[in-house]
Amino acid sequence: MTTDDEPELVQEAAELVRPYVITNGRDLVEDSAFSLLTLVTVAQEPPHQKPLDPEKQRLLELCAGGFLSIAEIAGHTGFPVGIVKILVFDLTEEGHLYARAPIPSAQLVERQILEEVLNGLQARFG
Amino acid sequence: MTQYLQDPALWALVAGTPVAATAIVRGRKKISELRKERVELKQHYTQLEEHYAEAVEEAKDRAEEATKNTLKAAMRTLQGLASEQQLTISKIQETYGEHKILQDLLDIDHMNSQFARRAQSIAVLCDGWLGRRRNDASLYDVVRSAKGRIRHFTRVEIRSQSNFAIVSRAVEPVALVLAELLDNATSYSAPETMIEINIRPVPKGVCIVVDDAGVGMNEEEKARAGQLLSGGNSASVSSLGNPPQFGFTVIGVLAARYGFTVSVDSTSPYGGVRAVVLLPDELLTSLHEPEEGPAVAASNPLPPEIPPGQQSTPAPGRHRAPAAAAFGASNEGAPAASETTAGGLPKRRRRGAISIVPSATEDTPTPTRDSARTASAMGAFQRGTQSGRRSTQASSEGHEVP
Repeated sequence: MTTDDEPELVQEAAELVRPYVITNGRDLVEDSAFSLLTLVTVAQEPPHQKPLDPEKQRLLELCAGGFLSIAEIAGHTGFPVGIVKILVFDLTEEGHLYARAPIPSAQLVERQILEEVLNGLQARFG
Repeated sequence: MTQYLQDPALWALVAGTPVAATAIVRGRKKISELRKERVELKQHYTQLEEHYAEAVEEAKDRAEEATKNTLKAAMRTLQGLASEQQLTISKIQETYGEHKILQDLLDIDHMNSQFARRAQSIAVLCDGWLGRRRNDASLYDVVRSAKGRIRHFTRVEIRSQSNFAIVSRAVEPVALVLAELLDNATSYSAPETMIEINIRPVPKGVCIVVDDAGVGMNEEEKARAGQLLSGGNSASVSSLGNPPQFGFTVIGVLAARYGFTVSVDSTSPYGGVRAVVLLPDELLTSLHEPEEGPAVAASNPLPPEIPPGQQSTPAPGRHRAPAAAAFGASNEGAPAASETTAGGLPKRRRRGAISIVPSATEDTPTPTRDSARTASAMGAFQRGTQSGRRSTQASSEGHEVP
């Protein structure tokens, strides 16, 4: 029997390794643990362990250049955000990655102060 | 003598003898004829019997063929639907990646994979095809893919990675064979036991060893399994039993078709079955090496494209050997990892962080405005705020310092 007449998969095939296998059936990480904007980078002293899964290795390489947010990692790897969170959570637990809370957005200044500044500027230059 | 001549009995005897002789001769003739006829009849009968057996065999073959063709066509539809559904699930997973629904989507994905595997197995029994992958895939990914196609996949532990890859045409067959082996392993062992997979290079190729901690098989079962796994007797849909047990049959067919061997006749260290898949060199390839070059080339030998302050220190040894640096001679800084994606595609490497976080070394350049103007504007702003604060010092004291 030859394999010449074997048809290719008709449509573009989905990924060979499915996301639930990559996470080994883990439950999703609690929302409180990571947000889309949580920043991660590689740890200064990564532990020496058995070789990581290719996906985790790739994630480490991505983060090697500096801080990356969860959302950016998802964009680069093409994995669903929830999957990225699980992988990052694991890597953080194992000491490969260092995560930090997102930079807080600027606090709103009280309107009165702004008005006073404006008045001051007008008084001076206006 | 005369008294004899006058004896009517003698005359009767004289007359009777030829008659009797003729009768005897006739009788003999008849007997021999009858015998002949009997032989002919017997021949005819055997001929008829043979014809009949042939006809029955032919009818059986034709029925099997028809069943196979029908099933094959039906399975092709199911296979197509399953892979279409898998793609759709992938897209939804990406869309709703941050929602709780992702958990359910993962479960659906898992069920879909099992469903697709069943359809593939039946297709194989009907001499159908599995659908060919476009790319080679690493052995590790194929094993993980197989793992994802069974129900209790979390019990499967892959103990070793490898640098081998499987050629595109053998990716699906090997994955399906492994999935069937893993299905058997999980079905015939206690739910709390693990199934171990080890990948071992051997002189003839690579072995994938699956060990379970189940009850094992007796000699009779082993013999039957060996016969099915050899793929010698063609698979017949009608002899699979109910509930159908086609794992070994499927494996046998695929192993024979693609030229690898599967054996289950040894015992695992845990007392269960040890299944060994031996993949010959023809089905193997190595993970693409060339990606190492471009990946390094992207991060090191193109200094002008790297933003200032991010990677200002030149790679060690560059000024020594500038030409060699272009082809990965100085990749001490780069992580020496496999440079392919899960699908075996070249991996794109980022040139640097795209994060918005200012790094310590970065001196935020403001290229369009000269420093004198900036200073005067800032000074004016500062003076403005100060005068503003002075003018309302008393009233604003309450909330100035929270």
